[in-house]
Amino acid sequence: MSNFPQKELVTGATWYAAGEEIPDVDRKLYALQNQCTDCNVCEVACSLIHSPVGELNPLLSRVRINHAPSVNSRKAVHDFGFVAAICHHCGNPPPCAEVCPTDAFYYDPKTFAAIIAQDKCVQCMECVPACPFDVVFVAPDGELLKCDLCGGEPACVKACATRPEMNNAGKQYSRAAVLFYEDTKTFRGIVQQKPQKQDEVGIMQAMLDRGEISSAA
Amino acid sequence: MESRLLRVDLTTGEMRDELLPHALFERWIGGSGVNNWIMWEHFLTHDIDCDPRGPDNIFVFGVGPLAGTGAGSGVKGRITFKSPCYGIFGDSAAGGKFPYMVRFAGYDHIAITGKAPAPVYLYICDGNAVICDARHLWGKNSAETHEMLRHELGDYPSAAHTLTIGLAGENQAGIASVVSDASRIHARGGGGAVLGSKNLKAIAVQGSGGIKIHNPPGLLKWSDGFRQKIDSNEAIYGFKRRGTLGAVEMYQHIGGHFWRNNQGCLFRGEEVRSDNWVKKYHKYSEVCSADCFIACDGRYKIDGTESEKSKKYAGETFRRPEYLTTASAAGALDVRDWSEVAHWGKVTNDYGIDNQDLSCAISFVMELKQKNLISAHDVAELFGKQQRLEWGNMEDIEALLRNVSLRDNLFGQLFHDGPYWGALRYSEMKGQNFMKYAIYGKGGAAFTEEMRPFPTWMNNMAVASRGADHLKGIGLIEKFQRRDLSKRYFNGRTEAADLSIPDLKGASTALLENQVALINSYGVCLFHWMLDPAGFAPEEYYGPAYANITGISRTPQELMQNGERICNLEKAFNSRLGLRREHDTICERWMHEPTTEGMYPGKVAADMFETVLDEYYEWRGWDKTTGLQTQSKLTELGMGDVAEVLAADGALARA
Repeated sequence: MSNFPQKELVTGATWYAAGEEIPDVDRKLYALQNQCTDCNVCEVACSLIHSPVGELNPLLSRVRINHAPSVNSRKAVHDFGFVAAICHHCGNPPPCAEVCPTDAFYYDPKTFAAIIAQDKCVQCMECVPACPFDVVFVAPDGELLKCDLCGGEPACVKACATRPEMNNAGKQYSRAAVLFYEDTKTFRGIVQQKPQKQDEVGIMQAMLDRGEISSAA
Repeated sequence: MESRLLRVDLTTGEMRDELLPHALFERWIGGSGVNNWIMWEHFLTHDIDCDPRGPDNIFVFGVGPLAGTGAGSGVKGRITFKSPCYGIFGDSAAGGKFPYMVRFAGYDHIAITGKAPAPVYLYICDGNAVICDARHLWGKNSAETHEMLRHELGDYPSAAHTLTIGLAGENQAGIASVVSDASRIHARGGGGAVLGSKNLKAIAVQGSGGIKIHNPPGLLKWSDGFRQKIDSNEAIYGFKRRGTLGAVEMYQHIGGHFWRNNQGCLFRGEEVRSDNWVKKYHKYSEVCSADCFIACDGRYKIDGTESEKSKKYAGETFRRPEYLTTASAAGALDVRDWSEVAHWGKVTNDYGIDNQDLSCAISFVMELKQKNLISAHDVAELFGKQQRLEWGNMEDIEALLRNVSLRDNLFGQLFHDGPYWGALRYSEMKGQNFMKYAIYGKGGAAFTEEMRPFPTWMNNMAVASRGADHLKGIGLIEKFQRRDLSKRYFNGRTEAADLSIPDLKGASTALLENQVALINSYGVCLFHWMLDPAGFAPEEYYGPAYANITGISRTPQELMQNGERICNLEKAFNSRLGLRREHDTICERWMHEPTTEGMYPGKVAADMFETVLDEYYEWRGWDKTTGLQTQSKLTELGMGDVAEVLAADGALARA
């Protein structure tokens, strides 16, 4: 078992008993269905940021891309397409924490993400079937893997190939991204943008006009 | 850095797991560099003039150190072998998940020699490898093979990813390709025929191991910077939406297409010229290579309501066509309906065949028919029945694709090595010279892009180590007339961006070949480099990522030298096979027939060809008269051992 959790968010963590009210959170993790491009960058980033020994391995990731329908063991979600499966950070208490016999779950005081304290976890795996979204994963060595929001800066959101930064207003390309960690208003603003059509010749011309590239000696 | 090589001898069934020595990484980074070196060493003990379809040929698969590490530049696997269709150095890259999974299964390189007595597939799982019976897979196309293997192997410890050959590879058609995960293709050079000749139907991997990163915080920080660089670059947004298809409009603008066997350089079909099809077909998910921050790829689905012709393909889904698929269908064969262009991409993948050589072979016979150079009798002789050979008739084109893949009639037997060898064989057979109508560059390789007005492009077609190709030294500076890049790379000189003069064109080829080779040895995608408006310097930019991942620090000069070394090794391989200056050439149509349309009419390659070639050799430090490498250049690159081998073969320039 790795010595996770190892980031500073653990120190001074507040323990909330199951059922206790937790404050409202501004920012939420959104994972849009069927927008995923199956690039695996989220898995790579997640496993790397959580690995104490610098090991990069999608099987140690807390976010997984569900392939549909080519993987036999999983039900096809759509005709084709991919779905980023990640913790929905649901309710209070979340179903995974509720069934935990050792009360190994606690809330991060900053993000209020429910986190598994690996030193208390006995790997009974009760939380795996308890999760309604199948997003508590088991590493090859038995460690239970669940999203901890990286202390407020989720690595997967930053890395996502469809990240919101790639949908800036005024840019010609616009589509909904897969992963967001935003407040509701910003989130709506991003997904409701309209694309601005421009062809490649136009883009090169615009860049020339702005002096970003030059064809003048 | 730990890098492992799996050696497989299919004749004996013997397999060896080797840890690549550290000394190797003094000269090569990984990916294409190490692949080339493995092949070079193999042919020091085996006859280099061997039959490429014989057991002595080697097939090397490899990934680079940056692949799948969160460096965000995609994953490119590379296959390297002696090409069966061109008879020279052969290699080809493809993205997707297979190369990524090979790393998680514990290897960076796989080298396959020998020949299995019956059809087999190689199964690799977490550092173990086993050769399995593949008789049940023989005769299946690449997509079916992939699905069957996935089903057979299940998804523990991970989903299976595959490298397969289709019917073209099984029948050892020279231009057969290797298909990665049923949808991405190592198209060029005939790797499929090499696997077919070895009776190796597929390689399947499953892996649950990880990749060790030397300095994770450093790498995460570097990735942040890289993402910011990408996000602030407007060119990426267009690329993200359409991928290389953006070139359709651009080339229509400058006259860079290849139409009807290059009788023209603009697309004619109204629909294929615009990108409306993206909205029409591209309704579903985008997909991309593993570990890529951009995601330029996508999938199409044909509903059957888009056009009259699309009814035939209702329900079909596949990866959307990229530029060269479009150029080979909408250009070379003048197919004017998008659903047919998309379908062409799918069938060439299913059969596992290179659409560049194939479309040029088909358009060659179509042009002969168009110009009444062959009679109905000749057509019946070629195909065993009457063929209309009409431009743009997809049903007939598909029949011809099948003929070449299966080699089941005279046309297939003559043209399975591409248009050059096909035209040569047909001319000999008929006692009439048809070579004027064959499109080819170095090695007889065909390419469906106009290059007569573009001197660097034309130089690429003549000197690329794997036969005519634009990806070996992609001539961006002149095609987009980027004087800023020219200034940056050539000490303030702007001539490289000027299409009307030959100056600095050979130099551009040499420089860009080195940069491309460097990127290929990192194992990442070329496009991240090409899309940088400020002019990406791979040696400066990827250097820190390479250091963070492997712990090996290299200066930009050392890295560029690394790229140059790779180009020189590929050249040395070809020199050993007897290639000299006269082999760095292009076909007659490109050389002497003027362009008739586009932005640059009246251009012939011959105007500048020799001047540019001279300059290329000069910048490379090679001998101009023979085209051979010099002792001094190779010593400078620390390749004295390579020079010794060349000298023994009489393939080193005399001092």
